[in-house]
Amino acid sequence: RRSSDGEPAKFQPPPKPVIVDRQRQREERRFLSPEFIPPRGRTDPLKFYIERKDMIQRRKVFNIPEFYVGSILAVTTADPYADGKTNRFVGICIQRGGKGLGATFVLRNVIEDQGVEICYELYNPRIQEIKVLKLEKRLDDNLMYLRDALPEYSTFDMDMKPVSRLEHEEVPVNKLQVRMKPKPWSKRWERPKYNIKGIKFELPEKKMQEAQKWSQPWLEFDMLREYDTSKLEKKIWREVNEELKK
Amino acid sequence: MMPIWTKSGEKHAVTLLKVQDCHVLKYVPKEDSDGKTAKLFVGGKNVSPFHKTEAEMAIFKEAGVPRKQKISVFKVTDDAIIKPGTPLYAAHFRPGQFVDVTAKTIGKGFQGVMKRWGFKGQPASHGQTKTHRRPGAISTNKASKVYPGKKMPGKMGNIYRTSFGLKVWRVNTKHDIIYVNGSVPGHTNCLVKVRDTKLPTYKDCNKNPPFPTFFADGDEELPEDLYDEEVFQFTDPSVTYA
Repeated sequence: RRSSDGEPAKFQPPPKPVIVDRQRQREERRFLSPEFIPPRGRTDPLKFYIERKDMIQRRKVFNIPEFYVGSILAVTTADPYADGKTNRFVGICIQRGGKGLGATFVLRNVIEDQGVEICYELYNPRIQEIKVLKLEKRLDDNLMYLRDALPEYSTFDMDMKPVSRLEHEEVPVNKLQVRMKPKPWSKRWERPKYNIKGIKFELPEKKMQEAQKWSQPWLEFDMLREYDTSKLEKKIWREVNEELKK
Repeated sequence: MMPIWTKSGEKHAVTLLKVQDCHVLKYVPKEDSDGKTAKLFVGGKNVSPFHKTEAEMAIFKEAGVPRKQKISVFKVTDDAIIKPGTPLYAAHFRPGQFVDVTAKTIGKGFQGVMKRWGFKGQPASHGQTKTHRRPGAISTNKASKVYPGKKMPGKMGNIYRTSFGLKVWRVNTKHDIIYVNGSVPGHTNCLVKVRDTKLPTYKDCNKNPPFPTFFADGDEELPEDLYDEEVFQFTDPSVTYA
C-alpha cells in the first residue's frame, strides 16, 4: 500500500479492544428484595434495623434468590407428615406480600385439573430450598387474576428444568396477555382500581366504558399518598450488601 | 410485632418492648407504705426537665436522675430492695420467664354500646324504625330502677389493662429489647409496665433470675442476644424432621 505522497504508509495500530467490565455492569443492576423496605408509619426505625439484622443473618445461612412476581419457582419444605420428610412444590409466583421477617409469596399451579395456591414465608426455617426455574417479570405486580383465567396459563410441569440465563442480562418482561374464563370473575378485573395490563379483555366496548366510571383520576396527584423510597432503598441496599459480603 | 419460629417449626407472634433509661427513683419502706411489702418507684423514658414545678422535680433531684415521663410503683419484698438511682436494664428479664404487661389501651373516644360492650343490636330490616345499634331495654319492670354499672355508651379505651402470663422468648442486651409472646395493650411506642407474673401456673417457671436486678458494672459479661432453648436462631441451618 502506498499513500498519495509515495511514502510507505504509517503504521496504524489496531483499534483498542472494548473491555466490557462485567463487574460494574452487575453492580449497576441493583436488586433489593421488597420486604427490606420499611412501610410508612410511626414505628421506631430501631425495630426495622433489628429485623433487618435477623433477615441478613438468615440469608447468610440460606440462599434466597432474586425473583419477581411472574417467575416460576420450586420450593422444598420440611414436612413431618410426608415420606422423605420433604415436600416439593413448583408454581408461578402471583403475589409478594408482607414486610420484614413475615414476608410471604404465593405460588400457584394447576395439579390434575385442580388449582392449588400455597403461601410460603420467605424466612420460615422449615424451607429447605428455593430454586428459581424461570426468572421473568410480568406486566402486573399482582397476578391474582390467574384464578379467573383459563387453566392453561397456570399449569406448570412439576419436573420442569431450570431455564438458563446469563448473569448480567436484564430480567425479561413477559408481555403475555391472558385470556379469561367467561364472567363472573372473583373480582371485577376490568375496573381501573386494579390497573391490570396483562389481560386480553374480550368484553364489549360498552362494558369497558362503564368500568371507567369507577376510575379515580385524582389519586395519582394526591401528595399525601406519595412515598418516595429511592433514598431509603439506596441506604438499605448498601447496608445489606456490606453485611452479606462479610 | 414480629414472627418468631421454634426449633420444631411452629410460628409465634412476638412484641418488642424497649427498656429506655429506666432508673429506680425512690424506696418506701414497709411501714410507710401501709402494707406488708415495701414499694419501689421506678421511672421510665427521659424527658425535658422544664415545664414542671420544683415539688414534682424533687423526687428526680434526690435520686440524681433526669426527669422521667412515667413513674410506676412496684411492690417488692425486703430482700429485693435496690438503691435509688440504679439503672435497670432489659437483662433483668431472662428468656423462659413469664411476664405481665400493663399499659393504657388505645383510646377510641365516645363509642356506642355495640362496639364498647359487644351488644348484638337490632336487625337491619324487617320493619325496624330508627333502631339498629341501640341497647334496647336497660332494666326490668320489677326493679323500677337502673342498676349502677349498667353497660351503656361512653368513652372507650385509654384505661390501664394488663395481659397476663406472656412468655419472654428473647432478650437483646445491646439495645435493651425484650421479645414478649403475643400482643400487648397500647399503641406503638407507648409506655408500658413489665412485671413478673402473678399467675399461679407459672410460679415455678422463673428459675434463677438476676436478683435483685442485673447490674451492668458487675462481673457478668452477657452475649448480645439471649435466646430461649426452643427458639430457632437464624445462625442455625434450616429445620428438618429426621
